[in-house]
Amino acid sequence: MNYTLRHTTRYHYDAPVTLCHSEARVLPRKTPHQQCGASALTISPVPQVQAERRDVFGNRVLYFALEEIHQTLEVTVVTPLHTQPLSPLPVNSAAWESVAQQLDNDSRFDTQLYRLDSPFIRRNDELATFARRCFTPGRPLVEAALALNQLIYHTFEYDPSVTTLATPLSDVLAHQRGVCQDFAHLAIGALRSVGLAARYVSGYLETQPPPGQPRLIGADASHAWLATWIPDWGWLALDPTNGTVAGEQHPVLGWGRDYADVAPLKGVMNGGGDHQLDVEVDVMPLTGGAA
Amino acid sequence: MSVSVSASLHELGTAGLVEDYLNQLGEGQPGTFDAMLDRHGQLRPGWQALISGLEALGTDGRQRRHEEIQRLLAENGVIFNRHDETQGRSWRLDPLPWVIDQAEWQALEAGMIQRSRLFNALFDDIYGARTLFDAGLLPTQTLLASPHFLLPCHDAKPSDRSAINFHGIDVMQDTKGQWRVLGDRLQAPAGTGFALENRILMARALPEMYRNAPLKRLAGFLDKYHRTLTSLAYQHRDNPYVVLLTPGPGSPRYVEHAYLANYLNINLAEGQDLVVRDSQLWLRTLGGLQAVDVALRHCDDAYCDPLELKGDSQLGVPGLLQASRASGVALSNALGVGVLETPALADYLPALCEHLLGETLLLPNATASTTPATAPVFDRQMQRLTPTALNLRCFVSRTPGSVTTPGHLPSHYHVMPGGLAWVGAPGSPSLKSPVVKDVWITANTPQPHVSQLRQARGPAVATRDGTDLPSRVAESLFWLGRYGERLDARSRLLREALLRLMEYDQDEIADRLLDELLLALDISTQNNDGERIKTPLVGFSQKRTALLAQFDASTPQALPSLFSQLLGNARSIRDHLGDDAWRVLHQLRQRVSTFSPRLDTSAARRACEDISAQVAAFFGLCNETMPHHYGWRFMDIGRFLDRLLGLLALLKLTLNAPLSPGLALWEVVLATTDNFTAYRRRYRSELHPEAILDLLLFDETNPRSVGYMLKRLERQIDRLPGSASPYRNAERRLLIQANAALHLADIERLSHLADTPDAQDALGQLLDALIEPLSGLSEALSHSHFSHVERPRQLVSMDPES
Repeated sequence: MNYTLRHTTRYHYDAPVTLCHSEARVLPRKTPHQQCGASALTISPVPQVQAERRDVFGNRVLYFALEEIHQTLEVTVVTPLHTQPLSPLPVNSAAWESVAQQLDNDSRFDTQLYRLDSPFIRRNDELATFARRCFTPGRPLVEAALALNQLIYHTFEYDPSVTTLATPLSDVLAHQRGVCQDFAHLAIGALRSVGLAARYVSGYLETQPPPGQPRLIGADASHAWLATWIPDWGWLALDPTNGTVAGEQHPVLGWGRDYADVAPLKGVMNGGGDHQLDVEVDVMPLTGGAA
Repeated sequence: MSVSVSASLHELGTAGLVEDYLNQLGEGQPGTFDAMLDRHGQLRPGWQALISGLEALGTDGRQRRHEEIQRLLAENGVIFNRHDETQGRSWRLDPLPWVIDQAEWQALEAGMIQRSRLFNALFDDIYGARTLFDAGLLPTQTLLASPHFLLPCHDAKPSDRSAINFHGIDVMQDTKGQWRVLGDRLQAPAGTGFALENRILMARALPEMYRNAPLKRLAGFLDKYHRTLTSLAYQHRDNPYVVLLTPGPGSPRYVEHAYLANYLNINLAEGQDLVVRDSQLWLRTLGGLQAVDVALRHCDDAYCDPLELKGDSQLGVPGLLQASRASGVALSNALGVGVLETPALADYLPALCEHLLGETLLLPNATASTTPATAPVFDRQMQRLTPTALNLRCFVSRTPGSVTTPGHLPSHYHVMPGGLAWVGAPGSPSLKSPVVKDVWITANTPQPHVSQLRQARGPAVATRDGTDLPSRVAESLFWLGRYGERLDARSRLLREALLRLMEYDQDEIADRLLDELLLALDISTQNNDGERIKTPLVGFSQKRTALLAQFDASTPQALPSLFSQLLGNARSIRDHLGDDAWRVLHQLRQRVSTFSPRLDTSAARRACEDISAQVAAFFGLCNETMPHHYGWRFMDIGRFLDRLLGLLALLKLTLNAPLSPGLALWEVVLATTDNFTAYRRRYRSELHPEAILDLLLFDETNPRSVGYMLKRLERQIDRLPGSASPYRNAERRLLIQANAALHLADIERLSHLADTPDAQDALGQLLDALIEPLSGLSEALSHSHFSHVERPRQLVSMDPES
């Protein structure tokens, strides 16, 4: 699929901000299934300093500093992007326990990075118990992971009114409701609690307008899902919010251990008072032609 | 060159201490290593002279030296923190140093240098290519789970600067005498200041033993360390600007930070003093932003940058990591080194050393079962030496430039010839230790006595305060002046009140003057209509209780609380105060700590007098020793502004005195301003309010007059930075306003004050015309000169626990 992604983040502050250092993770990264064209980036007001680097996860990080008094901040990124269909899922996979065992003895950095606790996700017995509803003894890893994805999709209610940035996983489990970020965190926590590796993926989802209606500009949203490591195959991306495998319709921004590693915009500022935040996202499919 | 105990020691009269010690060793585990005696019970090289000297002093002599050392320690502020809620330490310094023979030291030294090189290489891989994890050479899970492994530091250190410039290594000797590593200190390697201080105290308390001892001196090491720091700078390489980044007075290590900054002659800076702009680190100073080239970091890694690291840290500087990436400031040590302190690395070091350096690891780590060797430590009574387990912190520093020692491999590091030794089980924290020791490394030849350390760098009182004085320091000096003056004024009023309480200690002879003084002390308060808000205090005992409550630490605005404000400001500018001034402050602190509401009234009065004398001594020493630069000017402005406002308030109260109009109160005014003698000498007459007013308002030769104080404030404010501007700033306008009111006052109208309502009105108007602009002066000054920067905060709180 070819898309044009447009992502605007707009802050309006109640009081003037005199100095602001920010980190934005809004530039999509290249993956085996995704090629990105050059991003057009607009920051208003124009930053005095701007620098791009790669973080430890390989994501593109944009640092910028606003050193003059301002009361609004707007960051817009427009990126042409091409996604490819997923390779077929492995037909056979090892029993999940043996994978967990194998991972436990694996000293590689990238494996352990996504198996341990992270800022928002702590492994615990409650999460392990939840996972074992799907991770029954001897069950093949892929089958169990897909089942967990379905379990969350079917038993949890999507409800943007109940969660904040930091809803604890125990609350999500207890109330069985949340948003995509909570479901991704929940699945990751469950997988890690039984010894598997899982990472948080931030990105977008192409939404279909109701039949007969035009696409609304700016009505799409950021999306989040997860991926778990399948030995000898790769990272299997699961979208528990929609109960699907995340593939061609899921353009990727970046990944990390959890949301804290890939927050789209972070900043530390002097002044500002309260603020209002607007986010506009468009995932515009292009019919025909290359990205 | 061991010496037989039986023969030569006896002749020297040292048999007592050593034989007693040997007997104790025999009772313990015979055959285990002791630092002082070899397995034949003979003194190891280097101990002889020390032991003889200490033996010759006798118990009483040693006790006296011990007390002297403790007094010096207390003054230096090492145990100063005990006063505060913060965790401090209160150790004693043993008069017997730990002597380590040169040959033995060289082996330890080589092992530590290798360890620093190894850790430097390890950092580069862990935060760079990360090959060691995948090669199975690191405990991946343990390191990833460590809160000190900071993912944002990945690739954050410019490759042309080494990560480790300073490395604290804690070691011990095991029962075979083998040196073993207990731990590493890399984030904020504390202890250098204490090691230095121990050496200076030993030299002062036991000069005859210290002066000619063939031991390695410490001075060269820190000079070299300073050069190492300056050599890190990217810009201004001729004269780089270095700061020591401290968490501030709340840190238990703050005194040491101040000590070290002063010794290295660099500015002490807190996070709020610094700002990152244009990817460069800057210090907020009176003259504007000053570029900082090198930051010697004594904050833990995670707290240094709320943008990329711990978001709720109030200690760091937002954007610091990015500034480091962009070579806008060099950090020593690099951020992220804390992960190398992980104890679980110990088992992996032998293989890592082979892999990274191609060498065999020289220094093994201690294990849980390692038993420590013994070393002699004096008991509290200075009577006996006791075999004790010691920890030793050593310091390794990167050598400035690249130095190649002939015939050897390039050595990029060198070790301080000495360290901080403390009594305690292996690995116990130094701050909790009851006893510390100086460490003497013997040299083959007597070492020239390098003129003592701090004195070598010029006056003991050093401020560098040109316009590069940090704004926060200027503000603390201003408030130091204000609180000092307020404490003095209050003590004087209280003394007068207590005096009258004693004279009239019978209820029926109520002294109305005392009630006025209670008002002036704000113990009973009246509102604008002259009505009392608080119930009047009736009777001797109520009044006495109220007055003595001023000695209670829990009473707001009473003497102890004013003193703790004074002390707080003094501590935050520790490196700007001279040692003598600090000594006075320490004495004052001890005096205030004896205060209690249970004092009897004459003791309380003496306490007031002591405070006034000590405060005067403190400011006197500051005036004598601080360079009369911006920092001192702010302190002086603070003092005279507070004194002026206090006097005006007192005059106003006297004028409006509802209870005892008349001359008696004017006498109190003279007494509390210490102007009684001046008045008598000048007027040789009875009290005339007009004459008193002349002395207190207009006489510019009287340092306690309004006229003098206005002139002094004007002179100081005119010399602050930015005053050359043709535009008058707010504080100068306010001063002009006050001056005009004073100079335009109609003195004729003020005559016959005692019995003319018109004169009283005129004085009231004059006082108001003075008080009004001067009350705004403090605010105007802070607006112009002190950076009241809001604490930076997060755009989005990312704290999962919140």
